[in-house]
Amino acid sequence: MSVELIWALITGAALFGVGIYGALSQTNLVMIMMGVELILAGALINLVAFWRYLHPDVAAGQMFVLIVMTVMALEMAVGFGVAIARFRSRGSVEMEEAAELKE
Amino acid sequence: MTVILMLLLLAVGVYLVAVLEAWITNGRFRLAAPVYSALSLLGRESIIPRKSDLLFFEVGPVLLLIAALLAAAVIPLSPDLIITDLATGALFLNAALAYILVALIMAGWGPNGAYAMIGGWRFLGQLVAYAMLIVMPITAVAMRAESLVTTDIVVSQAGLWNIIYQPLGFILFFFAAMGLAFLPPFDLPVAEGELAGGVESEYSGVRLAIFRLGRMVLIITLAAATVTFYLGGWQGPILPPWLWSAIKIMFVTAAMLLVGRFVPRIRETHLLAWCWKFGIPLALLNIFAVGILLVMIP
Amino acid sequence: MITAQAIFIGFFGVAAVWFGIVVFRTFSMVRSAIALLFSQTALGAMFLTMQAEFLGVLQIMMMATEMSIMAFFMVMFMMDPGGMGKMEMTHQKHFSMIAGVVAFVGAVAIAVFIDWGPIANTVADSAEQTKALGLELLGRSMLIFETAAVTILTAMIAAIAVAIKPIPREEAKDKA
Repeated sequence: MSVELIWALITGAALFGVGIYGALSQTNLVMIMMGVELILAGALINLVAFWRYLHPDVAAGQMFVLIVMTVMALEMAVGFGVAIARFRSRGSVEMEEAAELKE
Repeated sequence: MTVILMLLLLAVGVYLVAVLEAWITNGRFRLAAPVYSALSLLGRESIIPRKSDLLFFEVGPVLLLIAALLAAAVIPLSPDLIITDLATGALFLNAALAYILVALIMAGWGPNGAYAMIGGWRFLGQLVAYAMLIVMPITAVAMRAESLVTTDIVVSQAGLWNIIYQPLGFILFFFAAMGLAFLPPFDLPVAEGELAGGVESEYSGVRLAIFRLGRMVLIITLAAATVTFYLGGWQGPILPPWLWSAIKIMFVTAAMLLVGRFVPRIRETHLLAWCWKFGIPLALLNIFAVGILLVMIP
Repeated sequence: MITAQAIFIGFFGVAAVWFGIVVFRTFSMVRSAIALLFSQTALGAMFLTMQAEFLGVLQIMMMATEMSIMAFFMVMFMMDPGGMGKMEMTHQKHFSMIAGVVAFVGAVAIAVFIDWGPIANTVADSAEQTKALGLELLGRSMLIFETAAVTILTAMIAAIAVAIKPIPREEAKDKA
């Protein structure tokens, strides 16, 4: 057991929990995306911690982190695209008002 | 020890840049001008605008200074005169410079003034234009050096400076660096005529002094980065290495300041259009050309 | 045993989580985006502490731009970006809180109770790491990396296609 690994994992867990809270509780699309960013940040720190303390000789671990960073950027780009389209047609990006998308 | 020496050299550099800037903008060469203007700024009242976001207002100028200083930490003035020789130096330079944007947005949003806010967000648009043109030429430079370490990059230019090896990259990097330091003609966030000073407009006294100091450090850091990446860093005959660095940095700074004197301020839309339609294809072409040169002449 | 590395990881971890909480507690939208930025920067500092130099610097660099753009969109889309009206912008708060805590406790339980096996104490220096990462990206994992690139291109096209202002049919016919 290593203190460093555990602390890093607990940080990841805390960021994940905060992100889940944010993604579920916010009513605004952009704020929800912030929650998702935090969830992914929690995943990132776990990946780096696993790479460092379990398999430091495998470069694929670092590559995985790069891919997750890419996903974060993609999520933002597509999310903002949707936000712009929504704002143009309805004048707001509030989730409570988007119930008609369910139907 | 190195840190203190570097900071002293940086202070001297800032003083020289201030003299140079005054000389180029109003045509009068006065060695005491920076001292007078600094004293007058420090002696003035530092007004805090009503209903401001005080945290951002205070942090903005300081963050500008810190980011510029961090970027200077990976610039070598001679083989030994470097604060930290990181293994990812060229990337770290970009990381530190990215916080210039954050500092300007904070400084623009903080004081709750319309001109300041528009100035801050303008810089975000400007970043979209110049960011790629900073990163892509550096990629080509790192390709030739086969390393991200700044000292290795300088050593790789021993035979032929990068300004001759990849002139296209130099031109793009030079202008992108001017955009990053918001020097005229790219001074959109602090435009005097249209925004009444933009981001600077709500600052006064000590805070304005810190903001201006941060910008001076930023200009000199970018000039030093240009020298490191394209002008062979400390290399040169007869004179000691640090003196060569200093001469080249002053030369590049003067060139950067001088360009703005003869060109009108660019419109944001034009800047974006030119950067994306011409700048980025040229930068890609530069990477491609350097790749071919590297394969053909090992 | 508490090492200097553990202390730094703990410090930056607490900073990252604290800024993460601030994101959802402040009323000012720009502050919220900047808090997220500092949370991510603290994370980048944690990477640096864990001797993943390239990843740490990359994280610090990428997030500055990303979060600034986020702040800009917040200002564009929010009714009260400065947070002066103290608008309530949450729903199902109780449920979300429980979900967050459950997720946290579950992840911590996994982290603490699983036997992670032998811990590696040494790691290659950062220049070698960067080189190994480059060889990995352009060697064995090239296909994955290329997939990421193609995904970025797709996302760019998709985002622009969604966000662009639709031209009414008559006008489009006139233009053609």
